[in-house]
Parts: sequence; C-alpha cells; structure tokens
Amino acid sequence: MRILNPTLICLSLLCALASGAAGAASTPVTPQEILAASDAVRNPDFPFGMTNTLVEYKNGQQTDTSTLGIYSKADPASGQFRSLIRYIAPARDASKLILFSGKDLWFYDPSSKASIRMSPQQRLLGQASNGDVVTVNLAKDYKAVTASEEDTQDGEKKTRHCYKVAMQAATPDATYHHIDMWIEVGNYHPVKARFYADSDKLLKSAYYRKYEKQLGIERPTETVIIDGLDPKWVTVMRYSELVKRDVPDLWLQREYLPRFKPE
Amino acid sequence: MKRFILAAILSGLTAAGPSSAQEDPDLEALQLADRIETKTEAPGNWRIFGEASLGGAVLRSTDGFQPDQRLSFDARYDNTFAAGWRAVLSDRLDADNPAQTPFGHDINTIREAYLSWQPGADLLFDLGRINERNGVALGYNPTDYFKASAVRSYVSVDPNSLKENRQGSVMFKAQKLSDYGSATLLYSPKLSNSVSYGDFNPDLAATNNTDRWLLTISPKLSDEFNPKLLVVKAEQVPVQFGLNLTSLISDAAVVYLEWSGGRNESQLTQAQQLQGVPAPNDTAFRQRVSSGVTYTTDNKISLTVEYQYNGAGMDQQHWDHLGTSPLYGLYRYWLQSIQESPTRRSVFLYGSWQDAMINHLDLSAMEKMNLSDSSRLSWLEARYHLSHSEYALQWQLDSGSRFSEFGAVRQTQTWALLGRVYF
Repeated sequence: MRILNPTLICLSLLCALASGAAGAASTPVTPQEILAASDAVRNPDFPFGMTNTLVEYKNGQQTDTSTLGIYSKADPASGQFRSLIRYIAPARDASKLILFSGKDLWFYDPSSKASIRMSPQQRLLGQASNGDVVTVNLAKDYKAVTASEEDTQDGEKKTRHCYKVAMQAATPDATYHHIDMWIEVGNYHPVKARFYADSDKLLKSAYYRKYEKQLGIERPTETVIIDGLDPKWVTVMRYSELVKRDVPDLWLQREYLPRFKPE
Repeated sequence: MKRFILAAILSGLTAAGPSSAQEDPDLEALQLADRIETKTEAPGNWRIFGEASLGGAVLRSTDGFQPDQRLSFDARYDNTFAAGWRAVLSDRLDADNPAQTPFGHDINTIREAYLSWQPGADLLFDLGRINERNGVALGYNPTDYFKASAVRSYVSVDPNSLKENRQGSVMFKAQKLSDYGSATLLYSPKLSNSVSYGDFNPDLAATNNTDRWLLTISPKLSDEFNPKLLVVKAEQVPVQFGLNLTSLISDAAVVYLEWSGGRNESQLTQAQQLQGVPAPNDTAFRQRVSSGVTYTTDNKISLTVEYQYNGAGMDQQHWDHLGTSPLYGLYRYWLQSIQESPTRRSVFLYGSWQDAMINHLDLSAMEKMNLSDSSRLSWLEARYHLSHSEYALQWQLDSGSRFSEFGAVRQTQTWALLGRVYF
C-alpha cells in the first residue's frame, strides 16, 4: 500500500521535473487532483441535460421509481454545478421542478403555481440525497487528505487497482462529513465510495458502474446506492440521454421556474 | 468435520484476498441491481386524474350526520406547440352530492387557459386566464392579490388545495428576465359584473370584476437573497405594496416573511359597501403580514409555525360585539369569498411527514388558531400513494364559541375518504 502524502507529492513532482517527463503537469498527483480528475469523469465540463431514472428497493421489493430530467451547468465563480430538476414520472409529480443553486433550493409546483424555498435537509426522494441526484463536483466541497493505492472489487465484481481517496468536508455545502472513494489508477474512473457522518457512522455506499462512452469519454451510466444501516435498502440511478445543451443562466432563477418548458 | 475445515480455509482465503472483496450485503445489492429493468419515461403534455370522495359532516345545529359524495375530473395540458409558443389549459369538474351551491351539482372551474409567446430568451408575453399567485408563506398569503373570489368549488381546507383548485384571472402579462433578476407587468381588465355559479359558466365576473395592474420586481442580489417587490393598483383602491423575503437559517430551517401594506378601508366597510349598506369611510394605512419558519428533521418531517396578521380585520373588541349585529352574516359571507380572516391575529401550524413509518404514506396535520376569539380549525390527512393512484383519509374539526371564526361554521367535524387515479 502506498500513501500519497505532501512529502511524496513534492518528491514525485521534483522527479517529474528532473526527468523532464512530458505531460507530467497534466497528470493528477495530489489526492485533490485525483479527486478532481474523477469528478471530470462523472461530470461533463460543459452545460448538459440528461435523464435520471431512480428505482428504490427495500428487502428485495421495488418500493419506488421516479424519472427526472436534469439540466446542469457549472457556476464559473464557485466551480460547483447549478441544476434544474424536472419530474417526469410518477404522474402525481410530473412537471414539478426543483432549482438547485448551492444552498438556494426552490421547489415549484405548476398546479398550485407555488414557489417554495426548501432547506437542504428537505429531500427529493427516499434514500437519494439531493447531492446524489444533482451533479456535484466533490473536489469543490471536499478536501482530499490522502490517496493510498489498493485493489478493490468494482460494481461488476472485477478487481480494479485504485486510489483510495479519503476526503473531508471543506465547505458548508458538503452533504457528508467525510467520504472514502476508490478511483481507478490510470483512468480516474470512480469505482465506489463510502459516505460517513461525523460520528463515523456509515451513511451509505455507492458503486459507479456500467461505463459507456458518453460525450467523448467513458462515464458511469449507473450508480447503485446501498444504505449504511440497512443494506437491503438499495437505490439504483440510471443515466440516459446525456446531451450537451445550452443551459442559460436565465433558467437558473426562481422567476423562471413557471416558464421552464425545455422541449 | 473435514468439510467444515475446508470451508473455514476457503473463507480465510477469501478474506485474505484483495481488501477489495465486496462485503456480502453489497454483493447482494449489486446482484439485485443487475436484475432491474428500467423504463425511461418521456415527458408528457397532459396530467389527467379522476377522484372520488365519500364522507360526511357532523352538523353543529342538530349533531346529525350528513353524508356527502364527490366525483372530480381534473386535466392539465401544457404544450410547446411551436418554437417560442406555449399553450396551457387547466380545468376541473366537481360533481357534489349534496350540491355546494343552489345552482346545481356540477361546478366546472376553468383554472387556466392562456397562450405564451417567447420572442427572445429574456422576454415573454402571456394572454388569457392565468392563475397568478404570489407569496412565500404557507398558510396565509397577503401578496396573493388575485385570490379573491377565485375558489368556485371547495374541495378541502388544506392550503395547497385552495391554491390549486381555483380559477385564474384573464390578463395580459409581460416578463423581462436578466441575469440580475426579473420584472413582470400585468394588466387584468374588468370584463363582467354579473357573477354566475352556473355549472359550466366561465364566471368572468368572479375574478375579472375590476381593472388591476401588478408590477413585480425580483432582483437577484445574491444566490441566497432574492427579495420580491410588488406594486398593485386596483380600480378605486389606493396603491398597495408587497414584499416577499426568505432566508435559510440552517441546513434544516427556512424563515420567510410576506408583507403587504397600503391605504385601504377595513374589511367590514368593504363588505358593507359591496352590499349597498352605508358605511363611513375609514381609509387608513393597513398592513397584512405572514411570517414563519419551516424546520425539516432528518427523517423527513417538516414543521411550519406561521404568525398571521391582517390589519384590515376587526380588533377583538369589535369582533366580540359583531355577533349580535345584522352585519355579522354579511361580513362572514364576504370574507369567505376573499379568503381573509375576520380578525387580526392568527397562528398557523402545519406538519407533514413523508414516508411516515411505511413507504408511500404521507401524514399531514394543520391547526389554525384565531388569537382574537380562540376558535380553532384542526385538520389531519393520511395519504397513501402508488405509482398511478393515491388514497386519503381526511378529518376536520371546527371548534369555538357561537360567533367565532371557526365555531360559527355549519359543521363541527367532517370526514372524507378519497381515491384518485392518474390516467
């Protein structure tokens, strides 16, 4: 097992400089850079739209299913994503909207024409936190402390050689106190993650799997979330129809919610 | 024994493998995910449901039980039919037994019917009947300037139902958006004077019986701070000003303030004038306020406490004496139409628990207390929902002294069992 600590990082940088290795500057070497490279695999670095189908299981029985249309773009100031979520299914929630812009959350119901401000604690769906559903750049909200190398099994039961990146919440926007994430060495594919409360209690595990070429690179098209307390509580999020599209800043304000009709 | 030793060795080998070996529960979950087949739903332009309700009321006068039934059909159509053009139609038909009005069992509400044109990304125009709703408070919305006479059919006292099941006003609306916020100007003309509760009458006079202008400005000062300022002018009424503010005070709590103020007559004077009863002009600067906090626990319980102040309502002393006056009935009738409290101060509590103890069961509870006459409205709902249907049991209790806000309504309790199917 190898731990990347600041001394080693400096040494490796010096070695790279001494050897004049081409491209060394673009190769992630710090835990934070590894985390950022992994974010880039999950999240396109341009505005995009996609469909997220969530299926929730408890004790082997399907308990819920929802389909969401997601429109995201990164905020140049914070680097974090701002998103508009549109419920497509189930029928009772169809066309309801949620605007995520940092901690500014607004829920809009076209039936009552009501725009209601939500707190981050108010969840969209059963097990999936808001941070699971919307696009999040972990490197913006968490400080990666260490990155050790080890083998781990991925969500498709294959052994992968990974960095185990330990990260701590670094901003008030962070949903979890700390996270361990396994990121494959060489391609920075996120493989799995464990999310913890400040009491060190495991809140949930996530497996990033079914990699397919989407918008130019291999990206996970499915996340399996397993509850930390009740492993028989499972949420599967499947991503489809990922497209590069314009998401104007005009859309990302409360007053646009009644107007939002992307088709 | 040999088999046991072999198993122990095998299990030891597995444990000594890559630290990566998946824990069994994870493996089980992943195998489950492998078997899941998902169908990606496409967005639709229609939302249609039918609803049936069985229930009844315990009448205050006799303590007798009066059963009632309701069948409803609800449809909403929202389509972008050409680039920049959008059509919205929203309608609800309620058939009640016994009837809600003397004009028949059926009440059709054309909630919305309008066209939108968006000539550019930042400019929009609307024309038609629109349910124009403003306000960030949950129970009482002083800046909801288009709520008067908007509810044709009373389905439930739940504030969400009152906001949803109402007709809009015919208006022309223009909105300009920028990265710094939004400005909206609308004009809603007077179209008719004669109110009609007829079954399928569009009832233009209910929500278009006076000329009104509304200017709304929502500057985007920061991600966290987005006030909304409103200026409204109605025919023969001085200009009224409104303000909506919200703020996040923790990851679990949102605080809000909704204010409206301007020179106006008291509600009693307005009620008298509308019925042709002589009343002295008592125009003065009056305010309406609704402010509260919503706290959400980590197990999906949301609790709201809201203080409501209506400066055009009656103070406690005058309200105490109105019960013996012939004006009492006239005043109450008018208030039901404009959806305002008869007195000045109330407290509103609302709680909801999503997935309460079992999945898909949502519990809601509401309590409204009139602080002037101590009367109360209590309401509970248990709602169980499936993918295309939902079922609810509702209970309502109106309590208080004889002429109080809630003690004077005709029933003490109501019950309703309802089922809804989405098509």
